[in-house]
Amino acid sequence: MSLRLSDLSACFEGVIPSIIATASADGMPNVSYLSHVARVDEEHVALSNQFFAKTAANVRANPKVTLILVDGITGDQFLLDIGFVRSVDVGPLFDRIALQLKASSAQIGMSEIMRLRSADIFRVHGIEKVPSPVETALATASRAPVNLPALSEAVKVIERQAEADEIIDSLLSGVRRVLGYGNALVLIRDSHRGCLITTGSIGYERSGLGSEIAGNEGLIGAAATSGQTIKVNDMSRVRRFGEAIGLETEAAENTSRSVSFPQLRTAMSQIAVPLAAGGTVTGVLFIESEERLAFREDDEAVLEILAGQAASALRASEREAAAAEPRQATPEPAATGREIRVAHHRFDDSVFVDGTYIVKGVAGTLLRLMLEWHLSEGRSEFTNREMRLAVGARMPEIKDNLETRLLLLRRRLEEKQAPIKIVRIGRGRVRLETEGPLILNAGRE
Amino acid sequence: MRLDDKLLEFLRRPLMCIIAAADAAGRPSAGRGVGLHLMEDRGTIEVIFSAWQWPRLEPCIRQTGRIAATFVSPSDYVSFQIKGAATMRDTQAPDLDRADRFMTAATNELESLGVPRRLIAPWLTAREARVAQLEVSETYIQTPGPLAGMLAGARTL
Repeated sequence: MSLRLSDLSACFEGVIPSIIATASADGMPNVSYLSHVARVDEEHVALSNQFFAKTAANVRANPKVTLILVDGITGDQFLLDIGFVRSVDVGPLFDRIALQLKASSAQIGMSEIMRLRSADIFRVHGIEKVPSPVETALATASRAPVNLPALSEAVKVIERQAEADEIIDSLLSGVRRVLGYGNALVLIRDSHRGCLITTGSIGYERSGLGSEIAGNEGLIGAAATSGQTIKVNDMSRVRRFGEAIGLETEAAENTSRSVSFPQLRTAMSQIAVPLAAGGTVTGVLFIESEERLAFREDDEAVLEILAGQAASALRASEREAAAAEPRQATPEPAATGREIRVAHHRFDDSVFVDGTYIVKGVAGTLLRLMLEWHLSEGRSEFTNREMRLAVGARMPEIKDNLETRLLLLRRRLEEKQAPIKIVRIGRGRVRLETEGPLILNAGRE
Repeated sequence: MRLDDKLLEFLRRPLMCIIAAADAAGRPSAGRGVGLHLMEDRGTIEVIFSAWQWPRLEPCIRQTGRIAATFVSPSDYVSFQIKGAATMRDTQAPDLDRADRFMTAATNELESLGVPRRLIAPWLTAREARVAQLEVSETYIQTPGPLAGMLAGARTL
């Protein structure tokens, strides 16, 4: 059976270096290591043009080149006859290679690398498996193919959900069911504050709901910014992405006003998949695994399908929630019980309930708003629509993700066992429930 | 051309080796070296490879008479490329001992750097060992600089 490039997917992970042999016009050979080879399509590969000058010069004088690729899982080697076609320094293909190179450099702790100047495209004329002196572990290394009926079912489950929390939860459980990954996060983009906020989480000791990643930071930031899936597959030498902000203890939340990012300290592979709908990235699905080279091409495809479905469902949910009409407000009797003290700090919109940090940003603003309405108008039911109108001028992006902000707020209140609850009572409508009379100290600096 | 003391010392370390030769039509071939021997004249280096694993190398060397060999020290990524005219000579018993020592040292070194032994095993064999005598005419320092691509290339191997 002849080999195809798609059979060699574990060779393109940048874990085991490739080898490139060239010859000058007068026939003198040259041989060097090469960190990253990207598969362009079934007939072409791209090499980052960061190798030595002699290789680059040879390739242009004599386009005949031989590559040795190494499977990062089995150690199997493949000999490829390739021919130089052209060099690219702009366009989607170049961007994809630059991003892969950035990720694979990050995996050896060199994420701040010299910018990729160009990539060389080669046509593949032939692929041979190099004989191995040992039986390689093909049987154990090859996994069962993706279970397509399970994927189809997971897509349908996401599609059936109307509310942001159900969509996010069904995305996370779909990841677990279809691919078996048990550590996953959904982060929603907050363009107002230029960050991504953890809004759904499975598998971590602490959920990390409300934790933030700067919009350009690490794998997650790169996926959000580029709109492309990005992964690392061998973290044995890497400082974990986002590590710097992951070290705060839960007790420190009240002083730092930030939640620590959930960590799988033994992670060997990580992948960040953009949640994109209608050409806009609204968040990132992030998964990690303790297995080396966990995320293969099939996994990427599955995750992109699930993430795309969830992004579309979230967008539809926002639109429908925004259309909900307010009901006639009926004043309610004042709550009895222990007083609840709520503080809102305007400079970062952080909210504390009885001294416990809950949330900041848009979600904090929404809570303050509902509390103010509750105190001034005596009502406890609020619509997505009125909140949009009230906050939209200051935070225009709210139109795309008010539901996910409400979800974050609701989950943080639950997680902190606050005496205030936000309960969803219908499409685009929530009710504020308190265990006692409220004292709101708003706008305090 | 004679190799200097620094290069001599380098060649005694645990190393990985990759080699290339081109055929008469200018198509290069590549493979891994599994042993080396520096001749007393300091200007000739013998490189051992498996003709069973890399069958295209020997015909290329016989056709065009030149090879390039890059040696890398996996622990610190220091690398040198050596090029020159090459001839094949008959394999003898000491060559197999050299290959054994080279492969054992390389495997231990890579393993100590975290590369699983089962991954390394497919790369190194002396089956149908062949010896190419390389008359050194060019040497290049090939230690990766701040170029991340090259650094990755030298790190694992």
